[in-house]
Amino acid sequence: MKKAKLFMDTVVEIQVVINGTASKEAAETKVDRAFEAFRKVEHACSRFSPDSELMTACRNMEKPVPISPFLFEPLKFALEMAKWTEGEFDPAIGKVMEEQGYNRHYLTGTSIETPSADSTAAYRDIILDEQDHTLYLNKPLVIDLGAVAKGFAIDLAAKELREFESFIINAGGDLFAAGMDRNGRPWKVGIQHPIKKDQIIDCIEISNEAVCTSGSYERRNAKMPGMHHIISPKTGYSPNDCVSSTIIAPFAMLADAFSTTAFLFGHEKGKKLIESVGLSGLFITSDLQIVKVGGIQNDSKEMA
Amino acid sequence: MAKLDRKWVVLCSAAVTAVYAAGYFSTEDEAAKTTLRQQPPINIQTQADQTSLSESKNQSKKSLYKNGTFTGMGENRRGSIEVAVTIQNDKITDVEISDFAMHYSESDVVGLPDEVLQNQNAQVTNVSGATYSTEAFQDAVQAALDQALNI
Repeated sequence: MKKAKLFMDTVVEIQVVINGTASKEAAETKVDRAFEAFRKVEHACSRFSPDSELMTACRNMEKPVPISPFLFEPLKFALEMAKWTEGEFDPAIGKVMEEQGYNRHYLTGTSIETPSADSTAAYRDIILDEQDHTLYLNKPLVIDLGAVAKGFAIDLAAKELREFESFIINAGGDLFAAGMDRNGRPWKVGIQHPIKKDQIIDCIEISNEAVCTSGSYERRNAKMPGMHHIISPKTGYSPNDCVSSTIIAPFAMLADAFSTTAFLFGHEKGKKLIESVGLSGLFITSDLQIVKVGGIQNDSKEMA
Repeated sequence: MAKLDRKWVVLCSAAVTAVYAAGYFSTEDEAAKTTLRQQPPINIQTQADQTSLSESKNQSKKSLYKNGTFTGMGENRRGSIEVAVTIQNDKITDVEISDFAMHYSESDVVGLPDEVLQNQNAQVTNVSGATYSTEAFQDAVQAALDQALNI
């Protein structure tokens, strides 16, 4: 069975391969629960809803605000990535994103503006307390969890569906595939061609893994040529060394965060980053060359 | 190839566990399901249905939208699409795509290495790419909202 809903400004499609024993009704209940994961993470992490947990917390400066794990956990992961990359990836970039026009809610059409927020704020201004599960902001700022929240929702949804041997969760091009496809083979996942919208440029095979792609060919900045939704916290500009970076990982949050970070780094430095943690992936450079990293599935024959 | 760094895997695994350990998912989820069940499962498609709904659901405080599930049609470059928008207390709580498919056929595949092409017996239906936006669905969502207007 297959169902698709809109969350986080994209299409989330969940497909469960039902074998003999499971009923369609039972599968549907589980799939609905999996969609609930997206609803909860979106409500916790959205930068576009004034009443999200994230935006509510961002209005409370210089005091500890208790937050739920739906916000705490992805934020913690984003902050770890920021520390590790010394701010080359930084979730404090929300205000800059707002200023670049990435501030419109996809369902209500309402734009959000946080005039008080400081666009020079950095990850060091965001402090999490592990004991009390609170968030403390040193400065008025807007947190952007665009590189982790969707991945986290996919991981939670996958947990909800774990009793099924075979399923796939596809959140607008970031996905997790469990087990084998209908033909008993690893799931085939095409890599979107950055220019030819109806075509794929490559194809990989995954099983019990997530694959996430960050790319510059969607969500381009209409007003500023060369700018898109991935912005370097260091320069304030969009990197254009690659047009996309794809990461394969056991968790979607891991693949999601690393695909964004690798994109920010560019393919040469990004390759080193990916190799240093033992992940695999592929870059499409701006001249449409495919650069593979870490021996991904479709050329794994040489590795075996 | 270096061994996968455990640190990041542990962080992800702990993140998922934290949600369940805190009891958030199960308890809140039951509550959410109850709310969903209370919503009138009505598909408004005709003017007659709309009238009867607004009459039966008329509340003392006039809201912008009626509560319920409303369908809307739209077009995108792959053809027509239909969405079912659920509204509760003037908030969109759910948007289900009732008729939508992103399919990539074999003929769409370019630049594949030979060994992949040989294995290409099944259609590639899942594609990883930069997160595509919901722009293509806006007309359909708007059409559903128009249906839901409390007039």
